[in-house]
Amino acid sequence: MKQSPADRQAFERMMPGVITAQGFLGKDVRSPDRIIAEDELLFRELGLDFDTVADRLEELARKGEEGLGEPITVGKLLIQSGEARGKLPCPWGDGFFHKNAVSVSPADIPLEACAEGEDMLIYSELSIHMLRAHHFCQGRGSPFRLEPALLKQLLF
Amino acid sequence: MSPILVGPLAVGAISTVLALIIAVLDKVLNNYGEVEISINGGEKKLKVKGGSPLLGTLAAEGIFVPSACGGRGTCGACKCKVLTDVGPHLPTELPYMSPADIKENIRLSCQVKVRKNLEIELPRELFSIKKYRTRVEKIRSVTHDIKEVLFALESGEIEFQAGQYVQLVVPPYGEIKESVQRAYSMSSVPSGRRHVELLIRLVPGGIATTWVHKYLKEGDAVELVGPFGEFHVHDTPAAMICVAGGSGMAPFKSMFYHLYESNAFPEKEIWYFFGARTGKDMFYVDELRALQEKWPRFHFVPALSEPAAEEHWQGETGLITDVLDRYLQHSIPRSEKGWEGYLCGSPGMINACIAVMRKNGITEDKIYYDKFA
Repeated sequence: MKQSPADRQAFERMMPGVITAQGFLGKDVRSPDRIIAEDELLFRELGLDFDTVADRLEELARKGEEGLGEPITVGKLLIQSGEARGKLPCPWGDGFFHKNAVSVSPADIPLEACAEGEDMLIYSELSIHMLRAHHFCQGRGSPFRLEPALLKQLLF
Repeated sequence: MSPILVGPLAVGAISTVLALIIAVLDKVLNNYGEVEISINGGEKKLKVKGGSPLLGTLAAEGIFVPSACGGRGTCGACKCKVLTDVGPHLPTELPYMSPADIKENIRLSCQVKVRKNLEIELPRELFSIKKYRTRVEKIRSVTHDIKEVLFALESGEIEFQAGQYVQLVVPPYGEIKESVQRAYSMSSVPSGRRHVELLIRLVPGGIATTWVHKYLKEGDAVELVGPFGEFHVHDTPAAMICVAGGSGMAPFKSMFYHLYESNAFPEKEIWYFFGARTGKDMFYVDELRALQEKWPRFHFVPALSEPAAEEHWQGETGLITDVLDRYLQHSIPRSEKGWEGYLCGSPGMINACIAVMRKNGITEDKIYYDKFA
């Protein structure tokens, strides 16, 4: 697949140290366009829709804010909403997003026993935007990866 | 030579030549020589090598402008006024600039390159900020996700006001290839000038907090930069109504023990509301209750929002804002001395507390806070 110049520039900005120290690709050796294509396939197989997932993540983030910085139980989930100073640009250059980190995990598992990416989702305003607008879940090994199977398991 | 190798070798050779040309051009075109940075109308003048961002150039000269993102232009903390024309604001700066900032030529110092003589303005307080080399003397888990870390200064002393913060310099580790800095309020008392104590809560996915919780060991060398911040006890007789949760405990611990040991502002009554979710998220309870016993003007109100039944929690329950509201309405005596609000926590928690305090008659100009964001 031939990359557009916009995609190529976005992928360069996903590397560690450009927008964030960790970058967006984790330990994934796949190219970002391949990550997107394979996650789109996984979404279809799991019956997930990018807009619906993004809406649900936004809804949970709002509920998490009611904990006033402390974790809060919402149904079967434990949500913690934390905020940091500043804004992050989207690698595709289509907006700036408030820096925050929302964690979502099963309420019946102690927070300290949850492993990121296995039974805990971590996301930000930028994660939701990239999911909705670019179908980008981030690379495997990125702490902020929105693993499709985990999205299905926790959110629906 | 195999024809299969010719292509890759040719591409490699061309790339090497191009890289060399770029390196030579960079040396020639980006050599700005020595330039002068004049600060606050010549109060300080620095002779520096041009070509680097202003933030790093100042840091190399021992002037530390606060920054939380390592100069990537994503925190907006490193604002300063540039009087010299250095061109229009960059797209990376604009999200942090109000129309007034743009008119005043306030810039992000991490985004402005020092290419010629510059005149800038900086708050004078920044001149007293230093970088300290320390050793980690003690690490203690105070909850399952908060560590109390005590740093011993390797030389010199630190002077600060209770409530101020330092920037923790996190070195490259694991997959993190560059140093980053993050701000943490000091929980130690100003009189302990050879030590700094921080309370650091593990944030899932957080670079600095992961390093502290999973990599940092007693005996490690760590750099701290500071002190920064305007959060401090105000010299009035008004009662302090303090609210925090989680690691927001830090500046208050420093303030309370400083007030206790110095008996400063003896007219001030102090009410401290501390919220956590469950008993395992609560900490320093015995210590603060002991302080309350021996210090009559200190009143400690810990509260749990989701206490587990088996914890048999005897204290207040509910969101800390609800507990605060109840106390302001029914328990805290009103006097002509008035009330002042002191808050430390997430923007959401601070905004919710401000609403409760305003509803109960504390005007916004008497509410002081240290937002985590």
